[in-house]
Amino acid sequence: MSPIISASGVGKTFRQLKRQSGFGGAIRSLFSRDYSEIRAVDGVSFAIEPGEAVDYLGPNGAGKSTMIKMITGILTPSAGSLSVLGREPHANRMVNAREIGVVFGQRSQLWWDLPVRDSYDLNRHIYDIPEARFADNLAFLTAMLDMAPYLDRPVRQLSLGQRMRAEIALALLHDPKILFLDEPTIGLDVVAKDAVRRFLSEVNKQRGTTIILTTHDLVDIEEICPRLIMVDDGKLLFDGELKRLRATLGSRRRLILEFATDPGPLALATATLAADEGATKHFLLENETVSLLDVLGELGRGHGLKDVKLEEPDIEEVIRTFYQNKPKLAAAL
Amino acid sequence: MKLSAYPAFTATAFTSRLAYRNQVWSGVFGELVATFAFIAVWTAAFVGRGTVDGVTLPDMVTYVLIAGPLLNWNTTRYIREVGDAIRTGDVTTFLLKPLHYPALLFFNQLGNNAFEQLTITLPVAIIVAFTVGLLPPASLAHGLLFVAYWVVSWGIMFLIATLTAMLAFWLLTAFALDWFLRGIMAVASGAIVPLWFMPAPLAAVLGYLPFAWVSYYPSAVYLGKLDLPAAGLHLAIGCVWLAALAGVLTWLWSRMRHRLIVQGG
Amino acid sequence: MSSVLRVIPHLIGIHIRTHMEYRGALFIGWIAQAIGYAGIYASIALLLARFENLGGWTWPQMALLLAFHLLAYALGASLSFVQFRDMEEKVRLGTFDAILVKPIGPWTFLAFSGLNIEYGGHIALAIGLMVWSVSNLGIDWSPGLVLYFLAAIVSAAMLTAALMTMIGATALIWVRSRHLFSIFFGFWELARYPLNIFPLPLQIMMITFAPLGFLAFIPTAVALGKPVPILGDWAGPASLAIGPLFVLLAIVHWRYCLRNYQGAGG
Repeated sequence: MSPIISASGVGKTFRQLKRQSGFGGAIRSLFSRDYSEIRAVDGVSFAIEPGEAVDYLGPNGAGKSTMIKMITGILTPSAGSLSVLGREPHANRMVNAREIGVVFGQRSQLWWDLPVRDSYDLNRHIYDIPEARFADNLAFLTAMLDMAPYLDRPVRQLSLGQRMRAEIALALLHDPKILFLDEPTIGLDVVAKDAVRRFLSEVNKQRGTTIILTTHDLVDIEEICPRLIMVDDGKLLFDGELKRLRATLGSRRRLILEFATDPGPLALATATLAADEGATKHFLLENETVSLLDVLGELGRGHGLKDVKLEEPDIEEVIRTFYQNKPKLAAAL
Repeated sequence: MKLSAYPAFTATAFTSRLAYRNQVWSGVFGELVATFAFIAVWTAAFVGRGTVDGVTLPDMVTYVLIAGPLLNWNTTRYIREVGDAIRTGDVTTFLLKPLHYPALLFFNQLGNNAFEQLTITLPVAIIVAFTVGLLPPASLAHGLLFVAYWVVSWGIMFLIATLTAMLAFWLLTAFALDWFLRGIMAVASGAIVPLWFMPAPLAAVLGYLPFAWVSYYPSAVYLGKLDLPAAGLHLAIGCVWLAALAGVLTWLWSRMRHRLIVQGG
Repeated sequence: MSSVLRVIPHLIGIHIRTHMEYRGALFIGWIAQAIGYAGIYASIALLLARFENLGGWTWPQMALLLAFHLLAYALGASLSFVQFRDMEEKVRLGTFDAILVKPIGPWTFLAFSGLNIEYGGHIALAIGLMVWSVSNLGIDWSPGLVLYFLAAIVSAAMLTAALMTMIGATALIWVRSRHLFSIFFGFWELARYPLNIFPLPLQIMMITFAPLGFLAFIPTAVALGKPVPILGDWAGPASLAIGPLFVLLAIVHWRYCLRNYQGAGG
C-alpha cells in the first residue's frame, strides 16, 4: 500500500519582523524595519499509511502547526516535496479539502449564533454531500457523540465539551479519508475528554479514517495514537511507536521505598534518589539491567523497610527525558 | 490611587501608539486628503465672492483645520472600545483596581489624542500653512482665549464621547450610538459648516447646545468673529456645560458601578 | 461553477439567519447609520442653501451625486467591506486557515457568507434621496439613459468591491492592511463632491490609480449632461468599463496573494 501522506525533505521559511524595544526603538521603527528568516520546518521526512493514527508532537513554536498547514494545503512548502492522497496539497487545495476533515481546537468552524444543525446543513452544500449519505452520517455521529439533546441549540449556548463534539462531527460529515485535529481535548473536563478519545479511536479503527493529532495531552497519545512524530526547532526528532521511544530512552523506572521510620540519608549505586519525604523515598533506576533484587540487596536489612513499589515510567516522564537529552539522543537515534 | 499617578496612563497610551507606524502614515494621508477636500469645497463656494457674512476664504481655510482635525477629533474607536468593555463586562476588572475608571479613560485618551495631534494634525497643519496659508489668531487676547476654549472643547468632546459609550450599558450598541453621535456632531458642532452660514433659527438653537463648544465657538474666537466680551461670556457658558456634563457622567458612572456590583459583573 | 452558484444562496442564508438573531440591533443600526450620513448631507445642504452652487452643482444635483455615491458604495461594500476589513484578524487568529480547508473559493465564502445586510440603512437613505432629487431635477429619462444609469451603479459597486478585495488581500502577505482602508476612505470622501472643484493632480489621481471619481461623480455627471474633466466624451463608456476592469485586476491580485499566503507565521 502506498502512503496516504508522504513528506520528503519538507521545509518552510518565514520572514519575521524584528521588533525594536523601548521608546527610541519605536520611533526608529517608524522609518525602518529589519526582518529575520525563520526556518519553521526544516527538512522533515515521514510517511503515513492509510488507517494510521499519528500524534504530531512538539513544544510550541516547534513547527508542528506549520507542517499541518502544509499538509492541509493552507501553506506552500518552501522546500522538499509533500504528497497527500497522491496529490500536492497546496496546488490541489480544493480537491484535497474534499477528502480531509480539520478540527481547529480553539477556532470554531461552527456558526456561533445559529443552531448546530445549520452549520451542518451549510457544510452539506459546500461539500456537496448526497442527501442520503448526509442523513446517515448525521444519524451515526449524533448517536456516537450523544449530540441529540443539543443539535437544535445555538452554538453559543453549548458547553466546551458539547461544542468540541459538534466540531468533530462537522469535520466528519463528508467522510474524509484523513482527519486532522489540533488539540481536540484541551480545556475539556475528564468525562468529555474520555468521550472524545473513545470516539476518535473508534472512528480510526472501525471506519479506517487516518487521524493526525497535535496534542500535548499524554493520555490522548496513549489511547488514540500508537505512533508519535516528534519535532523541535523545525526538525524531526523521533518517529515511531511510543513503546520504542520508551525502550530507546531506557526506562527510568521509579522505585518507591516506604520505611517504618525515617532511616536518614540513603545513597545507592544502583539507583539515584529522586525525592525524599523522610519515611518514603523515591529512587529512579538508571537502566533496564538493574533489578529490584539488586537494589534491595545493596540496601541490606535493618532499615525497617515496610513496603516496596516499582512503577513503570509514565509518558510524561518519557517525553521530558526526551527533550532534556535531545542532543545526546539525536546522535544515538 | 493618587491623582499624580494617572499621567502615567497618558504616557503609556502615547508610546504604545508608536508601534503602529502604518496607522500614522495613513492617518496623515487620510486627514490631509479630507482637509484639502474641504478647502476645495470652500474655494469652490467662494468663487466670485470676496466676503460672505463678513467671512473670507482664508478665514474658512483656517476654520477647516481648527474646527475639523484639531477640535472635532475622531471618537469612533474610543466609543467602540469603551462601549464594548462596558457591554461585555470587561469593565468590572477595573472596579477591582484602586482607580477611578472615568479618570483612567480621561488620561488614557489624553495620551492617544496628544499622539494624534502631534503625528497627524500638526504635519497636516504645517503642509496647509505652506501651501494654502493659515491665519494667525485675530489678536493676542483672542489667541489666549482660544487656548482656554481648546481645553473646554477637549473636555466636552471627551465627556460627550464617554457618555455616549456608557449609554451602551442601558440601550442600543456602541456601534449604533457612535453613528447617532456622528450624525449629530456633523451638523451641531459646526465642524463642517460654521453656524454663521446657517439659517438664523437653526443657528440660534445650535448655539446653545454643548456641541457648538466643540468646534464652532473655539474656531470663531480664534478668527475674531466674537468680540472679547462675547468670547468671555461664551467661555463661561462652555464651562457651565463642561461642569454639567461632568456631573451627568459622575452620576451615570456611579449608577452603573452599582448595577455592575449588584449583578456581579 | 454551477455548484458554486448552488452554494451561494445557502451562504447568504446563514448570515441573514445570524442577523435575525439580533434583529433589534440590526434595525437600530440601520437607523443610526442613516442618521450618521444624513448629518453630513444636511451640512452639505446647509452650505448649498447659503452658496447656491458648488462647482456648478445645485443642491438637487448634489443630492443625486450623494445618493449615487452612497448606493453604489453600499452595494459593493455589502459584499466586501467588513469581510475584508477583518482580514487582518482572520489571518492573525487563524480563522482564514479554517476557510482554506473548505472545498470552496475563499473569496466566494467570505463575500457571501458575510453578505452584509447591515447596509440596509445606507440603501434606504440613498434610494430615498435619489427619488427626491430625480423628482426635482426634470431629467429626460430615455430608455438608453435608464439602462446607462443602472449599469453605472453596478459598475461602481463592482469597483468598490474590487478595491476592498485588493486591500484586504494584502493582509494575506503583509498581515496588516487596515491602514490601506483609511487611505481608501480618504479618497472615498473626496468622491462625494464634484471632481472639478479639486486641483488637476488630484483629478488625475481620482480617475487613474485611485479611481473613486468613477464611484459617483462621473456617472452622475454623464446622467445630468454635465462636463467631465479630462475624460470628456469618454466618461460614459469609461464609467461602465471601470467596474469589470477592476474586478479582473482584483482577481489577479487576490490569486497572487493567496499563492503567497504565509499564515500568521511560526
